[in-house]
Parts: sequence; C-alpha cells; structure tokens
Amino acid sequence: MRGSDKGKIRHRRIAHGILILISFSLMFVGKADIAAFNKMRMGSNDFLAPVIDVVSAPIRGIQTMVEGMRTVASLRAENVRLQGENELLKRWRRRAEILESENRQLRSITGVVTSENRTPVTARAVTAPGGGFAHTVLVAHGREIGIQRGNPVVTADGLVGMVVDVGSSYSRVLLISDFNARIPVILASSSWPALTVGKNGSLLDLQFLPNEAEPVIGDLVLTSGHGGVLPNGIPVGRIAHIDGDDILVRPAVDFRHLGYVSILVGGLDGIDNDNLDLGKFYTPLPEDDGSRLLEGVNAAGQRQ
Amino acid sequence: MKDQRVYFEKANFQSALPYQLLVAIFGLFLMFLEVGLAQIPLFYGAAPYLSLIFVYYLRLHHPDVMPVFTVFVIGMVADLLLSNILGGRATAMILLAYVIESRQVKLEQVEFVQLWVDFAVSCAAVILFQLIFFSLINLTLPTFGPFFFQTGITLILFPIGFLMIYAAHRLLQKMKLLA
Repeated sequence: MRGSDKGKIRHRRIAHGILILISFSLMFVGKADIAAFNKMRMGSNDFLAPVIDVVSAPIRGIQTMVEGMRTVASLRAENVRLQGENELLKRWRRRAEILESENRQLRSITGVVTSENRTPVTARAVTAPGGGFAHTVLVAHGREIGIQRGNPVVTADGLVGMVVDVGSSYSRVLLISDFNARIPVILASSSWPALTVGKNGSLLDLQFLPNEAEPVIGDLVLTSGHGGVLPNGIPVGRIAHIDGDDILVRPAVDFRHLGYVSILVGGLDGIDNDNLDLGKFYTPLPEDDGSRLLEGVNAAGQRQ
Repeated sequence: MKDQRVYFEKANFQSALPYQLLVAIFGLFLMFLEVGLAQIPLFYGAAPYLSLIFVYYLRLHHPDVMPVFTVFVIGMVADLLLSNILGGRATAMILLAYVIESRQVKLEQVEFVQLWVDFAVSCAAVILFQLIFFSLINLTLPTFGPFFFQTGITLILFPIGFLMIYAAHRLLQKMKLLA
C-alpha cells in the first residue's frame, strides 16, 4: 500500500469519526429546543417540503383514484346512508338553533364575554407521520399569512393539534396523538377536567381525571380552553376503553385521511407563543376539602 | 520538498464521484417517496424503510458509490422530515454501514434467504437503536405496534426492492458498456 493511500484511508476514517460524532451529538442538541436550531430545522423543511409535494403527487393521485373507484362501487348504499344522515342532521340543526338562541339569552343574562377572535385558514397537509417516533405533519401555510406557534389546527370533526414550528411557507403541526401533546380537556357529560396525552399510536391516554368522575365508554371529550392557547369546546375524541385508571380516548379526527385542515389564526394575545410551556396550562384540581369549587350547569345542561 | 510521485499520478478518468452523486440523488428520492407513502392510510405512522433497503444493497455490493457521507445525508433528511430525534436515524444508518462493510466478504457469498434474515436483523437494529435513544431522551416508551408493522412491511418489500435495484444496476452496466 502506498503512502498516499494510507493517508487517504486515515483522512477518511477521521471524516467518518467526525460524522458519527456530529450525528450522535445532534440527538442531544436537538432535544434542547434551541431557537437557532429550530429555525434551521424549519428553514430546511421550507426547502424540502415542496420536493415531497412533487414526489408524493402520484401517490396522492393513485389514492384518489382508488377511493373514487371504491365510492362508485358503493354509490347506492352511500346514497341511502346519506339520506338518512341528512334527515338526522336536519333534526339536529333545529335543535342547535334552539340551543343557540337559549345560549345567547343565558349569556346576556350572566354577562359572559367570549373573546374568540380566531380566523380559520385552510391549509393542505403535505406530509403524514411516517414513523412511530413523532406524530407531526407539515402544512402548506406559514408566517407569510400570519400563522404563529400555538395556533390550533382543526377539521370539521374536531381537534387535529397545534402549530409548533412556523416557516415562511410551511408550518409543522404537532398532532394530539404525539406523545408530546398534552391537551387540557373536559368530559362533555359531566364537565370533569382531565388531560389527554398522546402515545404515538391511534389512541390517547386520559390522565388526571378526578376519582369522582364516572366516565363511560362513548363519552365525548372536549377541549377545556385552560391556558388560553386552545379554544374551549372543540371535540378531541370519545372514550373508547376503560380499565380502572387506564382510560383511552379515540381521537375525533381520523388522521389517516388528513387532506386539508383549518388553522385558527389569532386569539393568542397575551401569550408568549415563542416560549410555550404546555405543562403550565393544566393545574390539577386541589384536594377535596368539601367546599364547592364550581357552581352552574354542566355541558349536558344539568345542575352540578 | 514535495514527493515527486504526486506530480506523476495518473489523471483519474474513472472517478466515482458522478456515480456517487447519482446514487445520493436516488437515495434521497427513495427517502422522499418513503415520506410520501405515509400519506396512504395503510402506511400511516409506519412507512416502509425504502432508503434502508437501498443503503443495505449498495453498501454490500458497491460501497465505493455509497460513501458514509451519503448515508449521513439520507439519514439526516429523514430525521428532519419525519420530525424524529435529529441524528437518530443518521447515526443508526452510519453504524449499520460500518457493520455491513466489516461483514461484506461473508455476506456476498451467502444465499438470498440468509441475506434476507441479515437484513431483518439490520432493520430491527436500526429501529431498536432509535427506540433506545428516544426512550432515554424522552423517558417514555412509544406504542410498539407501528414499529413491528414498519419492520414487517420493510421485510416484505426487501426482495422486490433488492431485485429492482439489481435490475437497475445491470441496466446501468449495459449502458456503460455500450457507451
């Protein structure tokens, strides 16, 4: 072996060692949530997302075609189902109008002021979670139209997640199924507060539910609005499994078919959305000392 | 004084750089495809590791066109796009590249089924490496189901991917001969 070859091999080994060192140390630096690092990360996503958009266009096309064929095959059954659903929705609409009117009257009597000034912006989901380590998606809107960190993301079915990184044209949304997502919620039937925690799977854990609460399978879980980042009353999911303290919630949104989402822009006045400490948005209930904490009616309209 | 031999080195007309670049671009394309595949409901949260099949094949049969730097770039882009622990997949894939290199002579002589088993172990090792660091850094364990599915679907696709890369490789060789 010549001297120059030996030198090349030595240089190559040093370069490889440096590469391993860089990638290994990045694992720990990345977790530190450094602002410059996050900016670099989102900048690279801004650059890479359009490429993914182009590469996955044929996949989306094939998917649309398959779904179209499936729809044609079940057109008649679908028509019957939709007619039935339409009748049901008409009845619900009438009921909703009555409840809305009643709600308005009650608000005027009690003097409740709602401060929801959020504008929905429709955005297309460019990616989907591809692994079990993180449940995030890139959406095709960014800083250019006023999207901020902390903006809630919803669909017609319920809560999808919230914006955690904003680039110039793309934003990253943390899904409620991600293990980092902790959503302050209430049970719609009883107004008991709790917290949903993602498991990087298809179900969410319901934690910190007071012992007095008596959840049943099928109970609707809504955002509570604690902390002011997420508006209250958005469906998060329904209770799907109860085994002692182990309560699981099935998300209201089917993340496998996430095409378009609505980002609720605004409504974050007074919140430092660059330093969101989500752990502070939930305060567990104080010890029960017999005193009454809350007076009023619950979501089902019953007196508590 | 500079060694005189360096002035008389042959010009390297057979540089591997263009091939390395081509391989890097195709590797990145496979990685993007992997991210794109996650949009199909079946692969939600568990897209097959297409780029790993590619890295495995080339590090085994043509390590000269798949340098470690390319493996690092593919891994890093995957980590960025999938929002994984940055550097997790890159480190796992670089280490795998070294393991394949050290066992290259032995692996080149084995039957395909044995190679398939070896890939299964490699794929599981890459996922396990990331899983261990994910759990250590976040002090939690994610749901295991998607990882089993991801490994399974990658293993099913391995023979197809292997054949396709092999066919593309043969085609490129023929084109090279014709040129």
